[in-house]
Amino acid sequence: MHWFSSLATFLQVLVNGVFLGCMYGVAAIGLSLVFGCMQIIFIAQGAVMILAAYCIFWMVTFTSLSPFWGFLFIIPVFVGFGFAMYTGLFQRVAKAGKNPSLLLAFGLMVLLEHVMAFVFSSDYRTVKTKFASTALGLGGVTFSVNRIIVAIVACAATALVFLFLKKTILGKAVRAVSEDMGAAALLGMRPEWVSAVTFSIGIALAGVAGVATCVIFPFDPYFGFIFSLKALIAVAFGGLGSVGGALLGGVILGVLESMSAYTIGGGWADAVAYAAFLLVLIFRPEGILGRSSGEKA
Amino acid sequence: MRGKLNSGKTGWAVGFIVLAFFVIYPFLVNTERSYLVYFLYMTFIYVAMAQGWNLAGGYTGQVSLGQHAFFGVGCYVTAILWRAKAIGYLDPLGMVLSGICAVILAILVGLLLLSKLRGDYFALGTLGLGEILHVIAINGGRVTQGPMGINLPSDAYISMTYYYFIALAIAVLTLIVVLVMTRSSIGLALVAIRENEVAAAANGVAVLKYKVIAFAAGAFVTGLCGSLNAYYTFHIDSAGAFDLDWVMVPILMTILGGSGTFLGPILGAFILSGVYELANMVMPQLHPIFSAAFIVLVTLFLPDGLMKYITGHKEGVLRRLPLFRAIARET
Repeated sequence: MHWFSSLATFLQVLVNGVFLGCMYGVAAIGLSLVFGCMQIIFIAQGAVMILAAYCIFWMVTFTSLSPFWGFLFIIPVFVGFGFAMYTGLFQRVAKAGKNPSLLLAFGLMVLLEHVMAFVFSSDYRTVKTKFASTALGLGGVTFSVNRIIVAIVACAATALVFLFLKKTILGKAVRAVSEDMGAAALLGMRPEWVSAVTFSIGIALAGVAGVATCVIFPFDPYFGFIFSLKALIAVAFGGLGSVGGALLGGVILGVLESMSAYTIGGGWADAVAYAAFLLVLIFRPEGILGRSSGEKA
Repeated sequence: MRGKLNSGKTGWAVGFIVLAFFVIYPFLVNTERSYLVYFLYMTFIYVAMAQGWNLAGGYTGQVSLGQHAFFGVGCYVTAILWRAKAIGYLDPLGMVLSGICAVILAILVGLLLLSKLRGDYFALGTLGLGEILHVIAINGGRVTQGPMGINLPSDAYISMTYYYFIALAIAVLTLIVVLVMTRSSIGLALVAIRENEVAAAANGVAVLKYKVIAFAAGAFVTGLCGSLNAYYTFHIDSAGAFDLDWVMVPILMTILGGSGTFLGPILGAFILSGVYELANMVMPQLHPIFSAAFIVLVTLFLPDGLMKYITGHKEGVLRRLPLFRAIARET
């Protein structure tokens, strides 16, 4: 461990990576859920996140409430937004196949980015919280309070989605449709309805991720794409379609980036992340922790 | 069948008349000031890039999101060699070398990715490839000049006419390659792989070989386009060379026209370039919004591409027009 000057430095880099990874994780859960059920790579996830970030920015600017109150309205509003997007756009295009769906998601991403740039301007925005500069120290390692809250939100969101999938009847339907759409339809489930619910939850999770992001990073309308890419990598690490894996994949990615930024330089962190992404895709397409299904997509 | 194309005489005749117009046109106008010459130059590049994607993406069903990697490699190889005085201005050798570098990359990556990955995994893998090259270009130190990019001697510029004809030549070369490939046994193999990979392999089609051939051929023309772009802009930076537009716009054009068809990407390139340029002229401020909305509308209402409506796989208004009836009979 001669790369790190001390154990405390190593732990600090590790902790930073875990917190960064939690943010990737929240974005990735939604992506993973949507992919699992509808087989769509929803590349506009990041743009939706930034839309939520702008909502929070204006809420804070006009009401001076704490940004974390934003969860109260972001979740229902984005569930509705997702439902409208699915019934209005994706339900129709999904019938034509996967490529048009991917393109539609790309088109939506560009549309959202440019509308936001036109309406809100392309200036960087920041959202301040009360604890922006508060940090807790523990054995030489500091924990920023903002990031702790974000990590808690990430874990809570994952747990809620997990419980939803395992314990509720609707969640079981979502899993059934992910596994075999035809069989699920034969057993009386409506794949379109289940997909609509999944998609709405996915968009709401993007909203949650947006709230979590805006209190930590300054953002502009085009900031979301890199998050879409990172979320995709996290999803690939965890195994496409797995919800718990997505959060874990995000954390692995965050630690990987933070470690490589510290040891070989910030500019190369992205290259390391993408290289790991390619290696995982090639050698373990079921994800680092996924069980081998004996079938490669 | 979608693979069989333009067998009739009318198709060839129309093609040659259009080509003759493109060859004669620059001699009738002042190419330095003609907007149409610039427009056609860009469109020719897009025709080549769209067809380049169409080979692997449309005919073979291997959706690549990494065309910007090949475009960027073409840009950088030309820029670096030219700056090192290894090649000259608009040097055919330099352009071919750029294309070959893209092919080598495509074969290496193709063998690795295409043997292991299918569908979305392949698409994601190629996207990762482009982003890795982007980061390498930023961190390349003196070779790539970092994020500022490479400035090239712009006093070498002679005339727009050269660019126009080189772009036209690349587009025609691409079309010939696609035509030859799709009308030979290679084309049958590609379509067989798209329709059912397992069945194709069971019938003795060397799946990996043909996938890599389609992928590499597409990479070659994309690399050529990148090289020409370096000569045209006289400045190459990582953000411009590896811009995701270089992968998304050609894909959109192909899907708009009809993926896996010969005429589709050509049609798509002309229509989309036209729409983009029109939007840029009429409402420059709203242009990106309009273009994005157009993408959404196309996928919403024409997810199968225009060619299906024209050639009669789908009933549509277009089929009732006499010109399209003639094309439909020929294709």
